[in-house]
Amino acid sequence: MAQDQTAGAAFREGFVNASGCRIRYMEAGTGPTLIHLHGAGGLWLTPAHDLLSRHHRVIAFEMAGFGSSAETIRFETMPDLATVMAEAVANLGIDRFNLLGSSFGGKVALWLAVQHPERVLALVLEAPSAIRPVGSPPPSGSPEDMARRLFAHPERHDPPPVPEPDVLAMVGRLRGPERDTALEVRMRDLETPTLVLFGTLDHVIPPEMGRFYKELLPNCHLVFVYDAGHVISTERPEAFAEVTADFLERHEAFVISRTETVINP
Amino acid sequence: MKVSYFETGRYNAPPDLPREWPVPSSAYDPETGTAALRGMAERVRFVEKLGFDWVSLSEHHYSPRILTPSPVVSAAWLAARVDTIKIALLAPIVPISNSIRVAEEMAMLDALAPGRIIFGMLRGTTNEYLSYDLNPKEARPRTDEGMELILKAWTEPQPFGWQGRHFQYRTVSIWPRPRQPLPPTYVLGTSAEGGAFAARHHLGLGLSYGPFDAMGRASAYYRQQCARYGWAPGPDDIIYRANMILGETDAAAEDALNRRDKQAPFPVRPGLRDALVEADTSRNIAGQRQRANVGGVLPISFCGGPDRVIEQIRRAREEMGVGVLDLSLSDPGTGSLDTTMSGLELFGRKVLPHIRDI
Repeated sequence: MAQDQTAGAAFREGFVNASGCRIRYMEAGTGPTLIHLHGAGGLWLTPAHDLLSRHHRVIAFEMAGFGSSAETIRFETMPDLATVMAEAVANLGIDRFNLLGSSFGGKVALWLAVQHPERVLALVLEAPSAIRPVGSPPPSGSPEDMARRLFAHPERHDPPPVPEPDVLAMVGRLRGPERDTALEVRMRDLETPTLVLFGTLDHVIPPEMGRFYKELLPNCHLVFVYDAGHVISTERPEAFAEVTADFLERHEAFVISRTETVINP
Repeated sequence: MKVSYFETGRYNAPPDLPREWPVPSSAYDPETGTAALRGMAERVRFVEKLGFDWVSLSEHHYSPRILTPSPVVSAAWLAARVDTIKIALLAPIVPISNSIRVAEEMAMLDALAPGRIIFGMLRGTTNEYLSYDLNPKEARPRTDEGMELILKAWTEPQPFGWQGRHFQYRTVSIWPRPRQPLPPTYVLGTSAEGGAFAARHHLGLGLSYGPFDAMGRASAYYRQQCARYGWAPGPDDIIYRANMILGETDAAAEDALNRRDKQAPFPVRPGLRDALVEADTSRNIAGQRQRANVGGVLPISFCGGPDRVIEQIRRAREEMGVGVLDLSLSDPGTGSLDTTMSGLELFGRKVLPHIRDI
């Protein structure tokens, strides 16, 4: 089955300047603001973006250094990138916002949240790469190789776009050590309501890494998404968007079921 | 007055355990857990010798405070090891359970320990709904329908279908089937709905922890409903589960009361607690709206030396019509096992012989 080519059709392109970078973003929807920071493969709109934009103003950035936001400087550290992205959000006139980070973008999001805890209402981390087992390589190789790492069911999806070599080099530099002590120390004080999602079949970052976020973050919830790989939002967009939107709306009270079981009134 | 011992699978939790519900399961120690659960038989044999009439069991999830998520398992274990005491499953939490499964398991227990199983059905406290993902707004109607279905599964002689609001079965015909008429069965709770249901089906009523006047209102409502259905409950039809601090003297008991931890051992986080309370809006005592109690510390209903406690029990009989006292002599999840055992021993020696005629 081919990927849904219409995903993100309602999103409109925009640009914002921050720290000398011209940063591209895609925006759709109205409601509370949800900022999305993508993974190492770059910005890639999915049906989950469409679903989330039903109740949120979704702004999916193409982070500085990626894609058409790439013509400017290169960053040396993850906190630098987080700082620029926080500035980009501010330059859109947005003070407080919900923040979604996917994989590599999950680590950027964590850095942004520890730098600006007062601005981040809630944090959702999709298969974040901030904590990894020792010696786990990032996905690379042919599009087919990448698909086998990224998806639980690669046969159901088009292979993902392969990033340019200079982007890959930047990602390799920025992703940092498997355990980033400087970040983890600050995570212990981050009171922001945080939802960590892992697919049960993630072949890039083992879902067992989720427990470390629970241990470190004082207000963290861990949810496993069944039968999804690393890119949960592509493989199970409805499940991903439902739990994300519910958490953004209710924070820790999202554990209280609202499911109705009436069969016939 | 009959007396029941509330067995909670006393897990001796180390003090450094995270004090929050749910408690991370990584903190569970298997050896401590095995000792706690296997020790149920020893404790129940002990109270049986003291002359207790029942042991009661309950259903609670995700914490060491009461280590019996499946009271049916506890009951089966006890039924095989203890000879005469009656085993009261003051469980299951009906709205989170499959009613047919409940009916079958109770029937199995009734077959394994004929004449010794007592059964209660309840709606459960709000935080328990998180365990099995129940919408708190549905707890009341699912309890009502679930209880009705359990009774039907136990009593209907022919295979039947169930076209409910929340449950649907095209065919039900359980094996084994409990003895008829049914073993003693109770509705546990204070609500008008529960009281009316119990009255309509000629079941008993189980109250717990609340002050005598409030619980007295619930039992009065129940008796009123029973009268409406043309029958009058006896003392055995009303259970009161409560905490008791019994000392050799009044002063010793009051001293223990003052030393008691004022916090629940594993409370729900405040934000979540408030959200649960807000979501659970149909709690009531005999129709009078009541705020849900989520993870609060449970009150002590009886406190004193033997004479004072006997007097308090007399009042419980008068004000609530209680004929079965279901007791904890130390807070579940806290205190040492020795305190529990010595409290039980004192109760058996100094109190029990004097309350039989109350």
